[in-house]
Amino acid sequence: MRRRRFLTRTGAGVAGLTALAGCTDLGGSSEPSGTLTVATYSSFTGEETAGNWLKSAFEEEHSDVTVEFETPENGLNQFIQRKSEGVPIDADLYVGLNTGELVRADEQLDSDLFAATTDQVDGADGVKDGLQFDPDGRVIPYDTGYISLVYDEDEVDAPTTFDSLLEPAYEDALIAQNAQQSDPGRAFLLWTIYNEGADGYLDYWQGLLDNGVQILSDWEPAYQAYTDGEAPMVVSYSTDQVYYHGEGVDMSRHQVGFPNDQGYANPEGMAQFADSDNAELAREFMSFVLSEAAQAEIAVRNVQFPSVEGVEPGGDFGEYALEPPEPVTFTYEELSGNVSGWIDEWARQIASN
Amino acid sequence: MATRVDRFAIPAGIAATLATLAIVFYLPVGSVLVSAINVGGQLTVDPLLTVLRDPFYTGVAHSLFVDPLGVPRGISQWIAAGTPSLRLGLFGFTAYQALLSTVASVVVGLPGAYLLARFEFPGRRLLRSVTILPFVMPSIMVAVGFLAMFGRQGLFNDLLGIVGLGPVELTFTLELVVLAHAFYNAPLVTRLVTAAWESVGARRVETARTLGASPLRAFRDVIVPQLLPATLTAAVLTFVFTFMSFPIVLALGGLQLATVEVWLFARVRDLALTEAATLGAIETALSLGLIYVYLRFEALQVRSSGDSRGLDREPLFAGLRSLADPRRLALLCYGVVVLVLFVGPLASLVIESVTTPAGRLTGDYYAFLLSMQSGSGVGTVRPLAAVSNSVLFALGALALALPMGIVVSVVATRESRGSRLAEALLTAPLAVSGIVLGLGMLRTLVFGTELFGHRLTITGPVAIVAAHAVAGYPFVSRNVTPALSAIDDRLVDAARSLGASRQRALRDVELPLITPALVAGAAFAFAISIGEFDSTVLLAEGVDSATMPVALERYTGNRSLGPNLGPATAMGTVLLAVTTVSFLVIDRVGGRWEG
Repeated sequence: MRRRRFLTRTGAGVAGLTALAGCTDLGGSSEPSGTLTVATYSSFTGEETAGNWLKSAFEEEHSDVTVEFETPENGLNQFIQRKSEGVPIDADLYVGLNTGELVRADEQLDSDLFAATTDQVDGADGVKDGLQFDPDGRVIPYDTGYISLVYDEDEVDAPTTFDSLLEPAYEDALIAQNAQQSDPGRAFLLWTIYNEGADGYLDYWQGLLDNGVQILSDWEPAYQAYTDGEAPMVVSYSTDQVYYHGEGVDMSRHQVGFPNDQGYANPEGMAQFADSDNAELAREFMSFVLSEAAQAEIAVRNVQFPSVEGVEPGGDFGEYALEPPEPVTFTYEELSGNVSGWIDEWARQIASN
Repeated sequence: MATRVDRFAIPAGIAATLATLAIVFYLPVGSVLVSAINVGGQLTVDPLLTVLRDPFYTGVAHSLFVDPLGVPRGISQWIAAGTPSLRLGLFGFTAYQALLSTVASVVVGLPGAYLLARFEFPGRRLLRSVTILPFVMPSIMVAVGFLAMFGRQGLFNDLLGIVGLGPVELTFTLELVVLAHAFYNAPLVTRLVTAAWESVGARRVETARTLGASPLRAFRDVIVPQLLPATLTAAVLTFVFTFMSFPIVLALGGLQLATVEVWLFARVRDLALTEAATLGAIETALSLGLIYVYLRFEALQVRSSGDSRGLDREPLFAGLRSLADPRRLALLCYGVVVLVLFVGPLASLVIESVTTPAGRLTGDYYAFLLSMQSGSGVGTVRPLAAVSNSVLFALGALALALPMGIVVSVVATRESRGSRLAEALLTAPLAVSGIVLGLGMLRTLVFGTELFGHRLTITGPVAIVAAHAVAGYPFVSRNVTPALSAIDDRLVDAARSLGASRQRALRDVELPLITPALVAGAAFAFAISIGEFDSTVLLAEGVDSATMPVALERYTGNRSLGPNLGPATAMGTVLLAVTTVSFLVIDRVGGRWEG
């Protein structure tokens, strides 16, 4: 049933694409074949992950297609460097880049790393407006996380505003992450800049430092320190309760706080490499990722919110993942030319303290 | 025929060593460091000066590069102002914490050498074998163990509470970072000094005593000079390692305690490669300079004991009498320190692997390992494959690192011009940041070069083994060089005058005499390979070459059991177990040679 519905939609999409691209040998009935190489981060693949579900489901739809994963340790940088040094890129698309990384790629490269495909991918118009982050239509968001605070309600009150974090009630209360190396750490820093402004965020952080904020390397050590009771509050994701709920679980330590009623959206996107010789298949895969079934599966397996409007993942995720009253995020234009400077100034101030 | 093989063996060994080094070390590192002085094809010192003149990096020392002539005036003004504390800058702070860590490591490590070298007790060999364990522990696991042990609600505070003390707040302090550095490096001090102490000739001590020297005097005049080179070697290496320390600093201390390496990593991540190369070049210059100065010093030291009988060990436990012996009481206190600092974090790690975040007993994390083992999804790292890869790579690295280390030691003990410089350059793998090496390997070996229309890349298991060997062989040569130079030259001369070639003399006379040093070096080379992560993950082609640290890192990012490090701690425990067994074997096999 699911298969037929999907094929119908794809058929319509391919027909539209034919008109657009002016190709003649693309019929609605032609089955794609070959090997699709998907570059992504390592935790997207492996047992029970969103990546592996996508691989099997996509291969089931297209019996002549094999999906392979490539997971370089330095992520997107590997491909930016390949492109800038003229080394061939053998992957067809990249899954899992965010706004900051796209800005970096564009700042580093003179030629395009990715192809503009948004118009040619079926379902791309269903992505929520607030999550779109590429003005040039190359990157299509497929899910998003919301950075928030996770706190222990037995020790601190709900952090209602950013200013309240400077109060004595929150002395030595917060663990954050290094924005130079950690995604949630970077998102939290950008969130403070969103609220305090590029002129005011360093003063704000001086206030946080004076109040005893700790900045650890990455999410894992930070959350581990929170779990060990080193501080009653940590920068994390609004999906925390998906992991912690039900009988016998002490929910008091898993409260999600949205200061200023906000959460900072960190959408993850996918894009086809400009040099891919398998562009059509790559677009086919991307439109599969945006299908309702895939969106719901990715949400549950990746513990991130779907990017497509109207998709409701069921189960524990549907029940326990919290969305902020007001999702906020910086656009590509706002980050471009600014983000490295903001982070460097911030890191220098912390390290000089 | 045999002599012809003999004549060419050492030069061939040198050539093979240099070729391996050139491909997996000098070429990659050079490709990065050159961009510190070569910007867009132009030679320039601007990036270097930009860093040196930036007070953020060099603190008060930036005046040296901005306004050298104003320095004397600045100093007098500073004295007139009552010598207020100076701004250290990132380099200054990094050196400061490295110095503290070195002192701590030597203070914690030396008594261990005394215990292992001078006393006999049940389990001594076992204890000596496991001193290497901290070396292989990934920093994320050490952070878990340290938090569980020294955190606010950790075991240490519980223990202090029992004796009515505490609690102490150690998390996010420099003290805790220094302790973690001592955890990693004190065993280095212990092992190197133990080996030196074991080779102190008993006859010389006895001679000194017969000539009327007190035990203390004999210790000061005979033993100390022989331990000094090993102690300084360990101290220099500890300083270099902790100067380049990276993940552990930010996992336990936070960004306020950032080191140069943290910035280097951030620059590489931002692809600001010129600045990254500049920071790497300054780091390398400082580390290599320190190693060179040290090697000059070592060459001046007294050598040649020519005495094959070592000191006898005293029994550690001598009945009730031990309780009245201040040395044995002090060692008892030291035992408590060791329990807290070494056994504590490691045991905490093992406990974490069977405990849920809510504190209940669980077998889930080991069940997770089993499910990974039977998993069929692509990209799944299987624990048993990781174990066998780790052991195979380590054996391969050992087989390569031992001859490389011996060859370098033979070169180093030659008294020719520039041999100290050559040795320093050959020890460079210890002095270069892993981040710089990784970046260089990516750009040279992984990206490859276009040759006759075909792209030549150097990756896969063989490249991994070569990279591990290059990281490990300096430990072999650092152990072997002092032992080799301590051999009485007359022994070799005698062998050669009886017609033995240089190779034959090395094989039949010198090698048997330096077996303890070889075994010690082999243990390090093996440990370096087991613990290596950066180049392994870079040179691996897919998950088939994953090793234990790689598996552990993958499980760290796995959320199937929720956002906790349980699965990683289970893998960490497997890593500990496999390493322990390996070292027991190495020491037993080595012990058989030592006869």
